[in-house]
Amino acid sequence: MSDLESALGRTHGSPVPTAAGTGPTPPPVRSARSRATERVIGVLALVGTAFTVWLGLWVTPPDRTQGDLVRLVYLHPGVAWVALYLAFGLAAVSSLLYLWPRTRSLFWDRLAAASVEVGVVFNVCTLVSGSIWGKPTWGVWWAWDARLTLTAVLLVLFLGYLALRRIPAEPEVRARRSAFVALFAVLDVPLVHFSVNWWNTLHQGATVLNPGLTLKIHGSMAWTLLLGFVSLTLAFVWMLLVRYRIGVLEDWLDANELDAALAERRSEGTGPGPAVPSEPVGVA
Amino acid sequence: MWRDAALVAGKDLRIEARSRVALSQVAPFGIVALALFAFALGPDRDVLARGAPGLFWVAVLFCTVLAVQRSVSVESADGARDGLRLSGIDPAGLFLGKAAAVGVQLLVLEAILVAGVVLLYGARIQIPWMVGVSCALGTIGLAVTGTLYGALSSGLRMRETLLPFLLLPIVAPVLLAGTRIWQAAMVGGSPGDGTQWLRLLVAFDAVYLAVGVILFGPIQETA
Amino acid sequence: MRYIVAGYVVILGLLFLYAVQIVWRRRRLTRAVARVVAAGTAHDGAGDAVGTAAGRHA
Repeated sequence: MSDLESALGRTHGSPVPTAAGTGPTPPPVRSARSRATERVIGVLALVGTAFTVWLGLWVTPPDRTQGDLVRLVYLHPGVAWVALYLAFGLAAVSSLLYLWPRTRSLFWDRLAAASVEVGVVFNVCTLVSGSIWGKPTWGVWWAWDARLTLTAVLLVLFLGYLALRRIPAEPEVRARRSAFVALFAVLDVPLVHFSVNWWNTLHQGATVLNPGLTLKIHGSMAWTLLLGFVSLTLAFVWMLLVRYRIGVLEDWLDANELDAALAERRSEGTGPGPAVPSEPVGVA
Repeated sequence: MWRDAALVAGKDLRIEARSRVALSQVAPFGIVALALFAFALGPDRDVLARGAPGLFWVAVLFCTVLAVQRSVSVESADGARDGLRLSGIDPAGLFLGKAAAVGVQLLVLEAILVAGVVLLYGARIQIPWMVGVSCALGTIGLAVTGTLYGALSSGLRMRETLLPFLLLPIVAPVLLAGTRIWQAAMVGGSPGDGTQWLRLLVAFDAVYLAVGVILFGPIQETA
Repeated sequence: MRYIVAGYVVILGLLFLYAVQIVWRRRRLTRAVARVVAAGTAHDGAGDAVGTAAGRHA
Protein backbone atom coordinates (compact mmCIF):
# COMPACT_ATOMS: atom_id res chain seq x y z
CA MET A 1 0.00 0.00 0.00
CA SER A 2 1.70 3.19 -1.09
CA ASP A 3 2.00 6.04 1.34
CA LEU A 4 -0.31 8.13 -0.76
CA GLU A 5 -2.99 5.48 -0.83
CA SER A 6 -2.89 4.92 2.89
CA ALA A 7 -2.99 8.64 3.47
CA LEU A 8 -6.03 8.92 1.24
CA GLY A 9 -7.57 6.02 3.07
CA ARG A 10 -7.08 7.87 6.31
CA THR A 11 -8.63 10.98 4.92
CA HIS A 12 -11.69 9.16 3.74
CA GLY A 13 -12.04 7.56 7.11
CA SER A 14 -12.02 10.85 8.99
CA PRO A 15 -14.77 11.33 11.52
CA VAL A 16 -15.91 14.51 9.82
CA PRO A 17 -17.30 13.46 6.46
CA THR A 18 -15.63 15.20 3.58
CA ALA A 19 -17.81 15.47 0.53
CA ALA A 20 -15.72 13.52 -1.99
CA GLY A 21 -12.63 15.60 -1.23
CA THR A 22 -13.95 18.98 -2.16
CA GLY A 23 -11.68 20.70 0.36
CA PRO A 24 -11.06 21.00 4.06
CA THR A 25 -13.95 20.72 6.49
CA PRO A 26 -14.60 23.57 8.86
CA PRO A 27 -11.90 23.77 11.48
CA PRO A 28 -12.76 23.09 15.10
CA VAL A 29 -13.43 26.37 16.83
CA ARG A 30 -13.24 27.21 20.47
CA SER A 31 -15.82 29.23 22.23
CA ALA A 32 -14.65 32.28 24.11
CA ARG A 33 -16.12 30.72 27.21
CA SER A 34 -13.95 27.62 27.01
CA ARG A 35 -10.89 29.75 26.52
CA ALA A 36 -11.81 31.85 29.52
CA THR A 37 -12.46 28.80 31.67
CA GLU A 38 -9.09 27.40 30.76
CA ARG A 39 -7.38 30.63 31.60
CA VAL A 40 -9.09 30.87 34.96
CA ILE A 41 -8.21 27.30 35.86
CA GLY A 42 -4.64 27.84 34.78
CA VAL A 43 -4.26 30.97 36.85
CA LEU A 44 -5.83 29.34 39.88
CA ALA A 45 -3.53 26.36 39.53
CA LEU A 46 -0.50 28.58 39.25
CA VAL A 47 -1.44 30.76 42.18
CA GLY A 48 -2.42 27.80 44.30
CA THR A 49 0.82 25.98 43.58
CA ALA A 50 2.91 29.06 44.28
CA PHE A 51 1.08 29.53 47.55
CA THR A 52 1.58 25.88 48.44
CA VAL A 53 5.28 26.16 47.80
CA TRP A 54 5.55 29.26 49.96
CA LEU A 55 3.57 27.69 52.76
CA GLY A 56 5.30 24.37 52.40
CA LEU A 57 8.83 25.60 52.38
CA TRP A 58 8.64 28.47 54.82
CA VAL A 59 5.48 28.91 56.79
CA THR A 60 4.69 25.43 58.02
CA PRO A 61 6.67 23.96 60.90
CA PRO A 62 8.99 21.00 60.54
CA ASP A 63 7.72 17.63 61.66
CA ARG A 64 8.65 16.19 65.03
CA THR A 65 10.09 12.99 63.62
CA GLN A 66 10.95 13.73 60.02
CA GLY A 67 12.07 17.30 60.51
CA ASP A 68 12.19 19.36 57.37
CA LEU A 69 11.85 16.27 55.25
CA VAL A 70 8.12 16.28 55.84
CA ARG A 71 7.79 19.31 53.55
CA LEU A 72 7.61 17.07 50.52
CA VAL A 73 4.27 15.83 51.78
CA TYR A 74 2.70 18.96 50.35
CA LEU A 75 3.61 17.95 46.81
CA HIS A 76 4.45 14.28 46.59
CA PRO A 77 1.13 12.70 47.66
CA GLY A 78 -0.60 15.33 45.55
CA VAL A 79 1.14 14.36 42.33
CA ALA A 80 0.72 10.72 43.27
CA TRP A 81 -3.02 11.16 43.71
CA VAL A 82 -3.27 12.92 40.36
CA ALA A 83 -1.20 10.35 38.51
CA LEU A 84 -2.52 7.16 40.04
CA TYR A 85 -6.13 7.95 40.71
CA LEU A 86 -7.23 11.00 38.78
CA ALA A 87 -5.39 10.56 35.49
CA PHE A 88 -5.55 6.81 35.38
CA GLY A 89 -9.12 6.70 36.62
CA LEU A 90 -10.24 9.24 34.07
CA ALA A 91 -8.41 7.41 31.29
CA ALA A 92 -10.04 4.15 32.34
CA VAL A 93 -13.54 5.59 32.52
CA SER A 94 -13.15 7.44 29.22
CA SER A 95 -11.89 4.33 27.49
CA LEU A 96 -14.80 2.33 28.78
CA LEU A 97 -17.22 5.01 27.65
CA TYR A 98 -15.67 4.90 24.23
CA LEU A 99 -16.04 1.14 24.03
CA TRP A 100 -19.64 1.25 25.20
CA PRO A 101 -21.71 1.52 22.02
CA ARG A 102 -24.25 3.95 23.35
CA THR A 103 -21.69 6.48 24.44
CA ARG A 104 -19.15 5.90 21.71
CA SER A 105 -17.61 9.15 20.61
CA LEU A 106 -14.10 10.17 19.72
CA PHE A 107 -14.39 12.74 22.48
CA TRP A 108 -13.85 10.00 25.05
CA ASP A 109 -10.92 8.61 23.14
CA ARG A 110 -9.20 11.96 22.93
CA LEU A 111 -9.93 12.60 26.58
CA ALA A 112 -8.39 9.27 27.53
CA ALA A 113 -5.30 9.96 25.45
CA ALA A 114 -4.86 13.41 26.95
CA SER A 115 -5.39 12.04 30.42
CA VAL A 116 -2.78 9.34 29.93
CA GLU A 117 -0.19 11.72 28.59
CA VAL A 118 -0.62 14.20 31.41
CA GLY A 119 -0.76 11.25 33.78
CA VAL A 120 2.65 10.10 32.60
CA VAL A 121 4.13 13.46 33.49
CA PHE A 122 2.62 13.37 36.96
CA ASN A 123 3.67 9.75 37.33
CA VAL A 124 7.28 10.61 36.61
CA CYS A 125 7.00 13.45 39.11
CA THR A 126 5.69 10.95 41.65
CA LEU A 127 8.50 8.49 41.13
CA VAL A 128 11.24 11.09 41.11
CA SER A 129 9.93 12.98 44.11
CA GLY A 130 9.34 9.71 45.89
CA SER A 131 12.89 8.68 45.19
CA ILE A 132 14.23 12.02 46.37
CA TRP A 133 12.18 11.74 49.53
CA GLY A 134 13.24 8.18 50.03
CA LYS A 135 16.96 8.80 49.97
CA PRO A 136 17.22 10.78 53.20
CA THR A 137 14.32 8.93 54.80
CA TRP A 138 15.10 5.33 54.01
CA GLY A 139 18.68 5.71 52.85
CA VAL A 140 18.08 4.38 49.36
CA TRP A 141 17.15 5.98 46.05
CA TRP A 142 14.80 3.18 45.25
CA ALA A 143 13.12 0.43 47.20
CA TRP A 144 10.90 -2.29 45.88
CA ASP A 145 8.08 -1.39 48.15
CA ALA A 146 4.49 -1.92 47.18
CA ARG A 147 3.42 1.57 46.25
CA LEU A 148 6.58 2.58 44.43
CA THR A 149 6.50 -0.61 42.42
CA LEU A 150 2.86 -0.20 41.56
CA THR A 151 3.54 3.36 40.44
CA ALA A 152 6.38 2.14 38.27
CA VAL A 153 4.24 -0.57 36.71
CA LEU A 154 1.53 1.98 36.05
CA LEU A 155 4.06 4.20 34.32
CA VAL A 156 5.06 1.38 32.01
CA LEU A 157 1.41 0.64 31.27
CA PHE A 158 0.82 4.33 30.46
CA LEU A 159 3.86 4.41 28.21
CA GLY A 160 2.68 1.28 26.41
CA TYR A 161 -0.65 2.95 25.77
CA LEU A 162 1.08 6.01 24.33
CA ALA A 163 3.37 3.89 22.20
CA LEU A 164 0.37 2.07 20.78
CA ARG A 165 -1.34 5.34 19.94
CA ARG A 166 1.62 6.53 17.97
CA ILE A 167 1.06 3.85 15.37
CA PRO A 168 -0.72 5.51 12.45
CA ALA A 169 -4.27 4.35 11.95
CA GLU A 170 -7.76 5.60 11.38
CA PRO A 171 -9.03 7.50 14.39
CA GLU A 172 -11.71 4.93 15.17
CA VAL A 173 -9.37 1.97 14.87
CA ARG A 174 -6.74 3.67 16.98
CA ALA A 175 -9.37 4.62 19.51
CA ARG A 176 -10.66 1.07 19.83
CA ARG A 177 -7.24 -0.45 20.09
CA SER A 178 -6.18 2.05 22.74
CA ALA A 179 -9.41 1.58 24.64
CA PHE A 180 -8.89 -2.18 24.82
CA VAL A 181 -5.35 -1.73 26.05
CA ALA A 182 -6.62 0.70 28.65
CA LEU A 183 -9.27 -1.78 29.71
CA PHE A 184 -6.72 -4.56 30.13
CA ALA A 185 -4.50 -2.25 32.13
CA VAL A 186 -7.39 -1.25 34.37
CA LEU A 187 -8.17 -4.88 35.09
CA ASP A 188 -4.54 -5.51 35.83
CA VAL A 189 -4.04 -2.73 38.34
CA PRO A 190 -5.91 -4.29 41.26
CA LEU A 191 -4.13 -7.58 40.59
CA VAL A 192 -0.77 -5.87 40.57
CA HIS A 193 -1.78 -3.90 43.63
CA PHE A 194 -2.47 -7.03 45.65
CA SER A 195 0.56 -8.91 44.36
CA VAL A 196 2.94 -6.14 45.07
CA ASN A 197 1.45 -5.48 48.47
CA TRP A 198 1.81 -9.06 49.57
CA TRP A 199 5.23 -9.08 48.04
CA ASN A 200 6.81 -6.25 49.95
CA THR A 201 6.00 -3.10 51.77
CA LEU A 202 8.14 -0.37 53.20
CA HIS A 203 5.96 2.70 52.71
CA GLN A 204 4.05 4.26 55.53
CA GLY A 205 1.04 2.07 56.16
CA ALA A 206 -1.18 5.01 55.28
CA THR A 207 -2.65 5.30 51.80
CA VAL A 208 -2.95 8.69 50.22
CA LEU A 209 -6.58 8.90 51.26
CA ASN A 210 -6.10 7.43 54.69
CA PRO A 211 -7.65 9.61 57.36
CA GLY A 212 -4.98 8.39 59.74
CA LEU A 213 -2.45 10.42 57.81
CA THR A 214 -4.33 13.65 58.25
CA LEU A 215 -4.71 13.04 61.95
CA LYS A 216 -0.98 13.25 62.42
CA ILE A 217 -0.91 16.42 60.42
CA HIS A 218 -2.84 19.33 61.81
CA GLY A 219 -3.16 23.04 61.69
CA SER A 220 -1.31 24.87 58.98
CA MET A 221 0.15 21.63 57.70
CA ALA A 222 -3.28 20.20 56.97
CA TRP A 223 -4.41 23.29 55.11
CA THR A 224 -1.23 23.39 53.08
CA LEU A 225 -1.65 19.74 52.25
CA LEU A 226 -5.18 20.38 51.08
CA LEU A 227 -4.10 23.38 49.06
CA GLY A 228 -1.40 21.29 47.46
CA PHE A 229 -3.90 18.65 46.43
CA VAL A 230 -6.31 21.18 45.02
CA SER A 231 -3.66 23.14 43.14
CA LEU A 232 -2.17 20.05 41.58
CA THR A 233 -5.61 18.83 40.61
CA LEU A 234 -6.31 22.16 38.95
CA ALA A 235 -2.97 21.96 37.19
CA PHE A 236 -3.95 18.55 35.89
CA VAL A 237 -7.28 19.85 34.64
CA TRP A 238 -5.63 22.76 32.88
CA MET A 239 -3.07 20.50 31.23
CA LEU A 240 -5.85 18.12 30.28
CA LEU A 241 -7.77 20.89 28.54
CA VAL A 242 -4.73 22.02 26.57
CA ARG A 243 -3.69 18.51 25.66
CA TYR A 244 -7.23 17.63 24.62
CA ARG A 245 -7.28 20.61 22.32
CA ILE A 246 -4.02 19.42 20.82
CA GLY A 247 -5.64 16.07 20.10
CA VAL A 248 -8.56 17.71 18.34
CA LEU A 249 -6.26 19.87 16.22
CA GLU A 250 -4.00 16.98 15.32
CA ASP A 251 -6.90 14.81 14.24
CA TRP A 252 -8.36 17.62 12.14
CA LEU A 253 -5.01 18.24 10.48
CA ASP A 254 -4.57 14.55 9.77
CA ALA A 255 -7.94 14.46 8.09
CA ASN A 256 -7.69 17.68 6.14
CA GLU A 257 -4.08 18.47 5.50
CA LEU A 258 -3.90 16.22 2.53
CA ASP A 259 -7.03 17.59 0.93
CA ALA A 260 -5.76 21.10 1.35
CA ALA A 261 -2.31 20.21 0.09
CA LEU A 262 -3.82 18.55 -2.95
CA ALA A 263 -5.98 21.56 -3.63
CA GLU A 264 -3.00 23.83 -3.25
CA ARG A 265 -0.86 21.73 -5.53
CA ARG A 266 -3.46 21.56 -8.22
CA SER A 267 -3.97 25.25 -8.32
CA GLU A 268 -0.21 25.79 -8.42
CA GLY A 269 -0.08 23.93 -11.67
CA THR A 270 -1.38 25.13 -15.03
CA GLY A 271 -4.91 25.41 -13.67
CA PRO A 272 -7.51 22.68 -13.28
CA GLY A 273 -6.80 19.71 -15.49
CA PRO A 274 -5.66 16.10 -15.46
CA ALA A 275 -2.06 16.94 -16.26
CA VAL A 276 -1.36 18.33 -12.82
CA PRO A 277 0.59 15.83 -10.69
CA SER A 278 -0.15 15.68 -7.02
CA GLU A 279 3.48 15.15 -6.12
CA PRO A 280 6.49 17.03 -7.46
CA VAL A 281 8.20 15.09 -10.20
CA GLY A 282 11.85 14.52 -9.40
CA VAL A 283 13.28 16.89 -11.91
CA ALA A 284 16.51 18.30 -10.52
CA MET B 1 -17.73 -22.44 21.04
CA TRP B 2 -15.88 -25.40 22.47
CA ARG B 3 -15.85 -27.22 19.17
CA ASP B 4 -14.44 -24.17 17.44
CA ALA B 5 -11.86 -23.84 20.18
CA ALA B 6 -10.80 -27.43 19.70
CA LEU B 7 -10.61 -26.91 15.96
CA VAL B 8 -8.41 -23.85 16.24
CA ALA B 9 -6.22 -25.35 18.94
CA GLY B 10 -5.80 -28.47 16.88
CA LYS B 11 -4.84 -26.41 13.85
CA ASP B 12 -2.25 -24.37 15.71
CA LEU B 13 -0.78 -27.41 17.41
CA ARG B 14 -0.64 -29.32 14.18
CA ILE B 15 1.21 -26.42 12.56
CA GLU B 16 3.59 -26.50 15.47
CA ALA B 17 4.02 -30.24 15.24
CA ARG B 18 4.93 -29.94 11.59
CA SER B 19 7.19 -26.92 11.83
CA ARG B 20 8.50 -27.59 15.31
CA VAL B 21 9.39 -23.96 15.90
CA ALA B 22 8.62 -23.99 19.60
CA LEU B 23 10.62 -27.10 20.18
CA SER B 24 13.58 -26.33 17.99
CA GLN B 25 13.89 -22.61 18.57
CA VAL B 26 12.04 -21.40 21.61
CA ALA B 27 13.04 -24.23 23.93
CA PRO B 28 16.75 -23.91 23.19
CA PHE B 29 16.36 -20.17 23.65
CA GLY B 30 14.92 -20.84 27.08
CA ILE B 31 17.85 -23.04 27.99
CA VAL B 32 20.25 -20.44 26.66
CA ALA B 33 18.51 -17.87 28.83
CA LEU B 34 19.05 -20.07 31.86
CA ALA B 35 22.70 -20.37 30.93
CA LEU B 36 22.98 -16.60 30.52
CA PHE B 37 21.52 -16.10 33.96
CA ALA B 38 24.12 -18.48 35.30
CA PHE B 39 26.87 -16.52 33.59
CA ALA B 40 25.46 -13.29 34.95
CA LEU B 41 25.00 -14.43 38.52
CA GLY B 42 28.19 -16.38 38.94
CA PRO B 43 28.99 -20.04 39.36
CA ASP B 44 27.94 -20.15 43.01
CA ARG B 45 25.16 -22.70 42.96
CA ASP B 46 23.68 -21.38 46.17
CA VAL B 47 22.90 -18.05 44.59
CA LEU B 48 21.44 -19.76 41.57
CA ALA B 49 19.41 -22.18 43.61
CA ARG B 50 17.94 -19.35 45.63
CA GLY B 51 17.23 -17.37 42.50
CA ALA B 52 15.84 -20.36 40.66
CA PRO B 53 12.15 -19.49 41.03
CA GLY B 54 12.59 -16.01 39.61
CA LEU B 55 14.98 -17.06 36.90
CA PHE B 56 12.66 -19.84 35.84
CA TRP B 57 9.70 -17.51 35.51
CA VAL B 58 11.66 -14.85 33.68
CA ALA B 59 12.79 -17.47 31.20
CA VAL B 60 9.16 -18.54 30.87
CA LEU B 61 8.15 -14.95 30.16
CA PHE B 62 10.72 -14.68 27.39
CA CYS B 63 9.41 -17.89 25.89
CA THR B 64 5.84 -16.63 26.20
CA VAL B 65 6.62 -13.59 24.13
CA LEU B 66 8.16 -15.74 21.44
CA ALA B 67 5.32 -18.25 21.50
CA VAL B 68 2.71 -15.52 21.20
CA GLN B 69 4.55 -13.83 18.37
CA ARG B 70 4.58 -17.14 16.60
CA SER B 71 0.90 -17.72 17.27
CA VAL B 72 0.07 -14.35 15.75
CA SER B 73 2.38 -14.64 12.78
CA VAL B 74 0.89 -17.98 11.81
CA GLU B 75 -2.16 -16.08 10.65
CA SER B 76 -0.48 -13.12 9.04
CA ALA B 77 0.25 -14.80 5.73
CA ASP B 78 -2.15 -15.09 2.83
CA GLY B 79 -4.95 -13.20 4.52
CA ALA B 80 -5.52 -16.11 6.85
CA ARG B 81 -6.87 -13.79 9.52
CA ASP B 82 -9.63 -12.54 7.30
CA GLY B 83 -10.32 -16.09 6.26
CA LEU B 84 -10.77 -17.04 9.88
CA ARG B 85 -13.20 -14.23 10.47
CA LEU B 86 -15.18 -15.05 7.34
CA SER B 87 -15.35 -18.72 8.19
CA GLY B 88 -17.83 -17.94 10.90
CA ILE B 89 -15.77 -19.37 13.70
CA ASP B 90 -17.06 -18.17 17.04
CA PRO B 91 -14.56 -15.51 18.17
CA ALA B 92 -14.67 -16.81 21.72
CA GLY B 93 -13.80 -20.23 20.39
CA LEU B 94 -10.99 -18.76 18.33
CA PHE B 95 -9.66 -17.04 21.41
CA LEU B 96 -9.82 -20.15 23.56
CA GLY B 97 -8.32 -22.28 20.84
CA LYS B 98 -5.35 -20.03 20.21
CA ALA B 99 -4.78 -19.53 23.92
CA ALA B 100 -4.96 -23.26 24.48
CA ALA B 101 -2.40 -23.91 21.76
CA VAL B 102 -0.04 -21.33 23.21
CA GLY B 103 -0.65 -22.78 26.65
CA VAL B 104 0.18 -26.31 25.60
CA GLN B 105 3.39 -25.15 24.00
CA LEU B 106 4.27 -23.18 27.11
CA LEU B 107 3.66 -26.19 29.34
CA VAL B 108 6.04 -28.26 27.29
CA LEU B 109 8.60 -25.47 27.44
CA GLU B 110 8.13 -25.15 31.16
CA ALA B 111 8.70 -28.84 31.68
CA ILE B 112 12.02 -28.46 29.91
CA LEU B 113 12.87 -25.37 31.91
CA VAL B 114 11.99 -27.04 35.20
CA ALA B 115 14.38 -29.82 34.32
CA GLY B 116 16.94 -27.20 33.38
CA VAL B 117 16.56 -25.32 36.62
CA VAL B 118 16.80 -28.46 38.71
CA LEU B 119 19.83 -29.72 36.87
CA LEU B 120 21.69 -26.51 36.16
CA TYR B 121 20.95 -24.57 39.33
CA GLY B 122 20.61 -27.41 41.76
CA ALA B 123 17.16 -26.23 42.78
CA ARG B 124 15.54 -28.64 45.19
CA ILE B 125 11.79 -28.85 45.05
CA GLN B 126 10.19 -30.09 48.24
CA ILE B 127 6.55 -29.77 47.20
CA PRO B 128 6.30 -30.74 43.55
CA TRP B 129 2.55 -30.34 43.28
CA MET B 130 2.85 -26.65 44.05
CA VAL B 131 5.29 -26.24 41.23
CA GLY B 132 2.95 -28.11 38.92
CA VAL B 133 -0.12 -26.14 39.91
CA SER B 134 1.69 -22.81 39.73
CA CYS B 135 2.95 -23.67 36.28
CA ALA B 136 -0.50 -24.70 35.15
CA LEU B 137 -2.26 -21.62 36.49
CA GLY B 138 0.52 -19.30 35.46
CA THR B 139 0.52 -20.72 31.97
CA ILE B 140 -3.19 -20.12 31.62
CA GLY B 141 -2.69 -16.50 32.60
CA LEU B 142 0.24 -16.03 30.25
CA ALA B 143 -1.39 -17.76 27.31
CA VAL B 144 -4.65 -15.88 27.73
CA THR B 145 -3.16 -12.40 28.08
CA GLY B 146 -0.63 -13.17 25.37
CA THR B 147 -3.38 -14.12 22.94
CA LEU B 148 -5.32 -10.97 23.78
CA TYR B 149 -2.37 -8.70 23.20
CA GLY B 150 -1.34 -10.68 20.20
CA ALA B 151 -4.74 -10.02 18.67
CA LEU B 152 -4.52 -6.34 19.48
CA SER B 153 -1.13 -5.96 17.93
CA SER B 154 -1.61 -8.28 14.97
CA GLY B 155 -0.98 -6.60 11.70
CA LEU B 156 0.87 -3.71 13.25
CA ARG B 157 4.22 -2.89 11.84
CA MET B 158 5.89 -2.47 15.19
CA ARG B 159 4.48 -5.61 16.70
CA GLU B 160 7.79 -7.26 17.59
CA THR B 161 8.91 -4.54 19.93
CA LEU B 162 5.51 -3.41 21.07
CA LEU B 163 4.11 -6.75 22.15
CA PRO B 164 6.62 -7.47 24.93
CA PHE B 165 6.40 -3.88 26.10
CA LEU B 166 2.64 -4.11 26.38
CA LEU B 167 2.38 -7.65 27.65
CA LEU B 168 5.08 -7.98 30.29
CA PRO B 169 3.84 -5.35 32.74
CA ILE B 170 0.40 -6.89 32.57
CA VAL B 171 1.66 -10.31 33.60
CA ALA B 172 3.69 -8.98 36.51
CA PRO B 173 1.26 -10.56 39.00
CA VAL B 174 1.86 -13.95 37.37
CA LEU B 175 5.59 -13.49 37.77
CA LEU B 176 5.23 -12.41 41.38
CA ALA B 177 2.81 -15.19 42.25
CA GLY B 178 4.70 -17.88 40.39
CA THR B 179 7.95 -16.97 42.04
CA ARG B 180 6.47 -16.91 45.51
CA ILE B 181 4.74 -20.23 45.06
CA TRP B 182 7.97 -21.76 43.82
CA GLN B 183 9.80 -20.38 46.80
CA ALA B 184 7.23 -21.92 49.11
CA ALA B 185 7.57 -25.15 47.17
CA MET B 186 11.32 -25.12 47.54
CA VAL B 187 11.37 -24.25 51.19
CA GLY B 188 8.94 -27.02 52.00
CA GLY B 189 6.98 -27.25 55.20
CA SER B 190 3.42 -25.99 55.10
CA PRO B 191 2.18 -24.49 51.84
CA GLY B 192 0.50 -21.68 53.79
CA ASP B 193 2.07 -18.73 52.09
CA GLY B 194 1.63 -20.19 48.67
CA THR B 195 -2.14 -20.58 48.81
CA GLN B 196 -2.95 -16.89 48.76
CA TRP B 197 -0.77 -16.54 45.70
CA LEU B 198 -2.57 -19.45 44.10
CA ARG B 199 -5.82 -17.65 44.70
CA LEU B 200 -4.37 -14.55 43.05
CA LEU B 201 -3.40 -16.60 40.03
CA VAL B 202 -6.88 -18.05 39.81
CA ALA B 203 -8.33 -14.55 39.98
CA PHE B 204 -5.94 -13.32 37.30
CA ASP B 205 -6.81 -16.22 35.03
CA ALA B 206 -10.54 -15.84 35.58
CA VAL B 207 -10.50 -12.12 34.82
CA TYR B 208 -8.60 -12.37 31.57
CA LEU B 209 -10.35 -15.51 30.41
CA ALA B 210 -13.68 -13.75 30.86
CA VAL B 211 -12.40 -10.67 29.08
CA GLY B 212 -11.13 -12.73 26.20
CA VAL B 213 -14.24 -14.79 25.75
CA ILE B 214 -16.50 -11.76 25.85
CA LEU B 215 -14.42 -9.26 23.92
CA PHE B 216 -12.34 -11.23 21.46
CA GLY B 217 -14.78 -10.55 18.64
CA PRO B 218 -14.61 -6.76 18.91
CA ILE B 219 -10.89 -6.94 19.57
CA GLN B 220 -10.32 -8.77 16.32
CA GLU B 221 -11.99 -5.97 14.43
CA THR B 222 -9.34 -3.54 15.53
CA ALA B 223 -6.67 -5.35 13.57
CA MET C 1 16.80 20.23 53.37
CA ARG C 2 18.66 20.12 50.10
CA TYR C 3 16.63 17.07 49.21
CA ILE C 4 13.41 18.92 49.84
CA VAL C 5 14.36 21.80 47.63
CA ALA C 6 15.53 19.36 44.99
CA GLY C 7 12.20 17.59 45.21
CA TYR C 8 10.24 20.79 44.84
CA VAL C 9 12.37 21.93 41.94
CA VAL C 10 12.04 18.64 40.14
CA ILE C 11 8.27 18.38 40.49
CA LEU C 12 7.53 21.96 39.63
CA GLY C 13 10.18 21.99 36.94
CA LEU C 14 8.79 18.93 35.19
CA LEU C 15 5.25 20.24 35.37
CA PHE C 16 6.32 23.64 34.14
CA LEU C 17 8.32 22.23 31.24
CA TYR C 18 5.43 20.04 30.19
CA ALA C 19 3.04 22.96 30.42
CA VAL C 20 5.29 25.03 28.20
CA GLN C 21 5.59 22.18 25.75
CA ILE C 22 1.86 21.65 25.35
CA VAL C 23 1.15 25.33 25.00
CA TRP C 24 3.79 25.53 22.30
CA ARG C 25 2.40 22.46 20.55
CA ARG C 26 -1.09 23.87 20.60
CA ARG C 27 0.13 27.15 19.18
CA ARG C 28 1.98 25.41 16.39
CA LEU C 29 -1.05 23.28 15.50
CA THR C 30 -3.43 26.23 15.57
CA ARG C 31 -1.20 28.02 13.12
CA ALA C 32 -1.06 24.94 10.91
CA VAL C 33 -4.85 24.70 10.93
CA ALA C 34 -5.10 28.36 10.00
CA ARG C 35 -2.73 27.77 7.10
CA VAL C 36 -4.75 24.83 5.86
CA VAL C 37 -8.00 26.77 6.09
CA ALA C 38 -6.47 29.69 4.21
CA ALA C 39 -5.16 27.38 1.51
CA GLY C 40 -8.54 25.74 1.22
CA THR C 41 -10.53 28.93 0.81
CA ALA C 42 -7.99 30.45 -1.56
CA HIS C 43 -8.10 27.51 -3.90
CA ASP C 44 -11.76 26.74 -3.84
CA GLY C 45 -11.88 27.52 -7.56
CA ALA C 46 -9.84 24.40 -8.24
CA GLY C 47 -12.61 22.28 -6.85
CA ASP C 48 -13.38 20.47 -10.14
CA ALA C 49 -9.82 19.33 -10.59
CA VAL C 50 -9.86 17.87 -7.10
CA GLY C 51 -12.54 15.43 -8.09
CA THR C 52 -10.69 14.23 -11.16
CA ALA C 53 -7.34 13.89 -9.47
CA ALA C 54 -8.82 12.15 -6.46
CA GLY C 55 -10.60 9.77 -8.76
CA ARG C 56 -7.35 8.99 -10.57
CA HIS C 57 -5.51 8.18 -7.41
CA ALA C 58 -8.23 6.26 -5.62
